[in-house]
Amino acid sequence: MNYHILKKDELDGFIKKLAGKMKVCAPVAKGHNNFAFEEVTSAGGIALSYIPTILPPKKYFMPPREKLLDFDISEGKPKDTASLEAGETAIFGVHTCDLAGIQCLNMVFSERPRDYNYLLRKEKVFIIGLECGGYCDEHASCALVGNHYPNGGYDLFFTDLGDRFIIHVNTQKGEELVESFCLAKAASADMIALDKVREGKKAVFKNEIGVEPGKLPEIFAKGMEKKVWHDIGERCVSCGNCTNVCPTCYCFDMADTINLDMKTGFRTRTWDSCQFETFAAVAGGENFREERAHRQRHRLYRKFKYPLDKFYRAFCTGCGRCTRACMAKINLKDTLKALAAESK
Amino acid sequence: MKTENDPVTIAAKPKVAFFDFACCEGCQLQVANIGETLLDVLGAIDVVEFREVMSEKYDKDYDVVIIEGSITDHHAEERIKKIRARAKVLIAYGACAATGGVNGMKNSFDLDEIRKSVYGDDYKLFDSTPTRPLHQVVKVDYTINGCPIYPPELIEVLKCALRGLPYTVPDNPVCAECKLNENVCMYERGVACLGPWTKAGCNSWCVNNGNICYGCRGEVKNPAKNANDVIGKYNLKPELIKNKFDMYNKCKEADTNGNRK
Repeated sequence: MNYHILKKDELDGFIKKLAGKMKVCAPVAKGHNNFAFEEVTSAGGIALSYIPTILPPKKYFMPPREKLLDFDISEGKPKDTASLEAGETAIFGVHTCDLAGIQCLNMVFSERPRDYNYLLRKEKVFIIGLECGGYCDEHASCALVGNHYPNGGYDLFFTDLGDRFIIHVNTQKGEELVESFCLAKAASADMIALDKVREGKKAVFKNEIGVEPGKLPEIFAKGMEKKVWHDIGERCVSCGNCTNVCPTCYCFDMADTINLDMKTGFRTRTWDSCQFETFAAVAGGENFREERAHRQRHRLYRKFKYPLDKFYRAFCTGCGRCTRACMAKINLKDTLKALAAESK
Repeated sequence: MKTENDPVTIAAKPKVAFFDFACCEGCQLQVANIGETLLDVLGAIDVVEFREVMSEKYDKDYDVVIIEGSITDHHAEERIKKIRARAKVLIAYGACAATGGVNGMKNSFDLDEIRKSVYGDDYKLFDSTPTRPLHQVVKVDYTINGCPIYPPELIEVLKCALRGLPYTVPDNPVCAECKLNENVCMYERGVACLGPWTKAGCNSWCVNNGNICYGCRGEVKNPAKNANDVIGKYNLKPELIKNKFDMYNKCKEADTNGNRK
């Protein structure tokens, strides 16, 4: 058990000291109840109480647009040089849903063939989690997937105890930082206070859809032809907001760009979305998921069915971003409820 | 015979000409806004006609012509056909050329009514036709959408044209790029924006700078059939969205295939 204490009035000093060591990013208010992870140099600009940011912290692990290599075709045989742009970064204030999202991506990109750009960049990211005392809003479904409590995936984890934070140290890197900052060890009174916070959350966080999570795999296994997919397909705009804001969506597109000298160029990858019209289009004019209904269905199967078969965990973190960002009011909780109701 | 060991060689610099029809010439001005990259562009092409910056004319065939503006009278129609006949590759440059742009608003009215309001009682002396984007008059090889064009897209299209490769206009809504830029959604700010129906490729340029999307790049091929949810969620009137679209996309009604790139 390795817990430390940071008084709230010392948070500013903590962030400033951390910012002296590396780039620090934290949730910042963008207006209209929108938040985004952005670079900070003091605690002043940090929104300690925030609803999930527009983009999840995955943007620090796989940037929306990323250069993978430079190439040169001026000689007979093309030459290429791998490219990685990554600096030491600390992300402060990551909620448990987003920690779960990062854990999912870690599993995906560690699979062979390994994604070195992701894995090398990940080594440079220092993660500081922050516990939620209550729901961010009505769109969250973190209790359904068990992400309202911390389940690892961080270096340090902050829980608000009123006038102070209790910090769980989870890694060697976290240990070194806490020691170099000379943070006091938690006392038994602090541990009791932490238990009380956790106990209190039991009364707040409840399964949001009234369907046993254990029954979801079976519901999905039999759910391919349900009407609900047609209903949400009728409404979908295909804007890709739901996947772009999802902490576990990782599909990307790659493209080579040649410079004006027509000899050198670079390869980039950009986030892609299974909701786009062209995502499953192939040469010859065939499109494997031409219908919006099929694309929406595919998205949810990629959260509640396929990853369970492959990684033994749901790839929905319960953050609620897809519902908030949907232009057409497609609501994840309602969709799951409708699917469950149809499956009865 | 070419072998894989041959270095890539670029033929003599392609002869490129700029022409304009009904437009504000703002897209041609964007060429000057490219900045330092302009030097690289001029290293790759040989500009033989460009009324905004030079007085020389060229009397041979063009490798590439870049056309700004829409076709709004018979004289323009004859002129674009002559240019087309002399050009190996034709690029429709900017909203007016690509979709008809704001000139298309003319098509919402009776032609004679419009002519009267512009030219007065002698309107019959002034020829005028309904506005048409270039592809409704001549074959178009590449399209650069936007009002004005987004300069990085000009560079990409130019490179494709020089290499003889196709350029694919993204067929995703502007939202796709807007989210990647992590903008607060205009609808969250209480403002109606055409991003959900408009083709991306501009890197959500307007929204990044605090403006809404006006739909200047044209609709995606398969826009949401039933936008009632979007409209309902934000308490909008369907006519409002349609009117906003008409500002740039009125000419689309004359597209017979309905799904031009």
